[in-house]
Amino acid sequence: MASSTEVIVSEDVAAPSTGAPAAARGSRRGRSRLKLASRYVVVLVMMGLAGFPVYWMLNTALATNAELYAGTQSWWPHFEDLGSLFHQLGRVPLWRWLGNSAFIAMGTTVLSLVLGSLAGYALSRFRFRGKGPIGFLLFITQVLPEALILVPLYALFISLGLLNNLWGLVLADAGFSLPVATFILKTAMDRIPHEIEESAQLDGCPRISALTMIILPIIAPSIAAAAVLSFFAGWNEYLYANTFLSDQGHWPASVGLASFIGQNETPMSAIMGSALVFTIPAIVFFLLVQRKIVAGLTVGAVKG
Amino acid sequence: MPSITFENVSKSFRDTQVITSFDAQIEDGEFVVLLGPSGCGKSTLLRMIAGLTDITSGTMRFDGEVVNEWEVAERRLAFVFQSYALYPHMTVRANIAFPLVMAAFKRWYHVPVVNSIARRTLMRSPEISERTARIATALELDQLLDRRPVQLSGGQRQRVALARALVRDPAIYLLDEPLSNLDAKLRTQMRAQITGLHREVGRTFVYVTHDQVEAMTMATRIIVMDHGAIQQIGTPDEIYRSPANTFVARFVGAPPMNLLPIGDEASGVRRADLATHVPGLALPDGDDLLLGIRPEKLRFHDDASGPLSATVVAVERLGSETLVGFHLDTAEDRPRTLAPETPHYAKVPADQPVTVGESCSLSFAAADVVWFDRETTRRLDPALV
Repeated sequence: MASSTEVIVSEDVAAPSTGAPAAARGSRRGRSRLKLASRYVVVLVMMGLAGFPVYWMLNTALATNAELYAGTQSWWPHFEDLGSLFHQLGRVPLWRWLGNSAFIAMGTTVLSLVLGSLAGYALSRFRFRGKGPIGFLLFITQVLPEALILVPLYALFISLGLLNNLWGLVLADAGFSLPVATFILKTAMDRIPHEIEESAQLDGCPRISALTMIILPIIAPSIAAAAVLSFFAGWNEYLYANTFLSDQGHWPASVGLASFIGQNETPMSAIMGSALVFTIPAIVFFLLVQRKIVAGLTVGAVKG
Repeated sequence: MPSITFENVSKSFRDTQVITSFDAQIEDGEFVVLLGPSGCGKSTLLRMIAGLTDITSGTMRFDGEVVNEWEVAERRLAFVFQSYALYPHMTVRANIAFPLVMAAFKRWYHVPVVNSIARRTLMRSPEISERTARIATALELDQLLDRRPVQLSGGQRQRVALARALVRDPAIYLLDEPLSNLDAKLRTQMRAQITGLHREVGRTFVYVTHDQVEAMTMATRIIVMDHGAIQQIGTPDEIYRSPANTFVARFVGAPPMNLLPIGDEASGVRRADLATHVPGLALPDGDDLLLGIRPEKLRFHDDASGPLSATVVAVERLGSETLVGFHLDTAEDRPRTLAPETPHYAKVPADQPVTVGESCSLSFAAADVVWFDRETTRRLDPALV
């Protein structure tokens, strides 16, 4: 904004000297303002599209069932109903469910990042037999639908004693997010010049430290991207959790939310209230890591 | 301080031979420049000294001890990469201190997470920060210590790379075209700085470049390479005055040495003409000869008084002098057009009037001539001439 102000001031000073160029400048200024305004409009529309569902969740959470079914829901949330919402939510182990979701999501993220960075490094830096097929197989895992391997996984979990166990969910979800994380991290490592690592080697740094102290900090933006994907793979887990976890105390929030839907009644406001609570940690996590997702960290490492 | 010995060292990548039986000795404290065109294997050789590339066959010794199997870190050397290879996420201070921090690391410090904590802790140790500060002051980097590489100019990055190499006092310095990314003015400054540094630390420097000016100005000895083989080893003066073959003659010097075909009347300058006009010139036997003469040793005549009659095809005025491109008026050398690709050159004073297309002649002193066999491209031994 400061620079545009400076431009305007200097134009105003120069304007009286010539008529025609001043008019041209004026129309140019008008065009640039129009461009700025249209940019704001687009951003506002996008924000509305992204933010409205969250707002509507809050609004629905604070509406009564009668209003909802009668179609007379107000556009503004009734904050005075907050107490009854809390009362409703207090009847279910919501915090427990959220804790389970967080465990699955964090476990999936940590496992995917640790194994993904090691696998990505091996695929990026070493030559070995079967390197090509392994890269191909990573993609194959993405083609398989979750439901397809549900039954074999169930049988496997029975024999491994992982049924009704949160660790089993972590393993199953990491199985899906690990290939993506590996691919993202491998691609990022491919872009790091070998000289940087060789330089570390010459400075007396062994490979493991070169990976953890040099390579990984450089690819922090890609790690953040992989972390977001893995976290949400675990956080949004539903199918496996619904199948493998029979004990209510082990449910993640997604399964807990679905359990509100009854045969005779579906308390929409309680569902929306818990969904809102369920959304907040995910948003917080995203806000935390998105600061890391900035490009250009490697600029200046090498020539050019 | 080790000397470096290469015994029949070669390197091939699958079927491609990159270095063929390399035999050389680099003495203690020398500044040796590996000079050659792109792809001649000079960088590969430097990487082999560092241990970053394996040796296919042959032996490399540091002070007589075979080092073929030594790990990179065991070799105690510093390497300045062409791309500088700075750690982009670390400050200048952390970049320079990194080798010192690594030297102070115990084995278990390398455990992930522990290593980052240990690095930060060691960085603050008085000894490391004092040495870092000292080297930063020496290279005028003390104002930049808290910046990251991205915030530095090319010359500053280059100095950080040098500081990182200098900080732990290695036995050998390896430099891989470290000035190639700098502008001409900065390159001249850095040349002087690196040469001064060599004098100061008195260690062995091996420097790779394709720039013959860098080689001539910095080296105590030059190893000229082409196609993975040594073409000549010698002091800059020897390389310039007595090139071992036509490759060295043409590669070193700007413009390169003139190679004039001498033979019978049909193919080149007539032997008889030379013998008559150049007093004291000892002509080797045979008709397949090339007469090598540096452009500054040729005397330009705007009449036909010299033994070599020629036509001017290019005039390049450099301010302090003028480069005159010419072709000899012989059947072999005469150009079909006035825009030939590779004329011969003579250096003339800046105030001498020369125009393209004019007829001229050239003369030279017998002492300035180097003879080459046209077939083998080798220099003919002056004793045999």
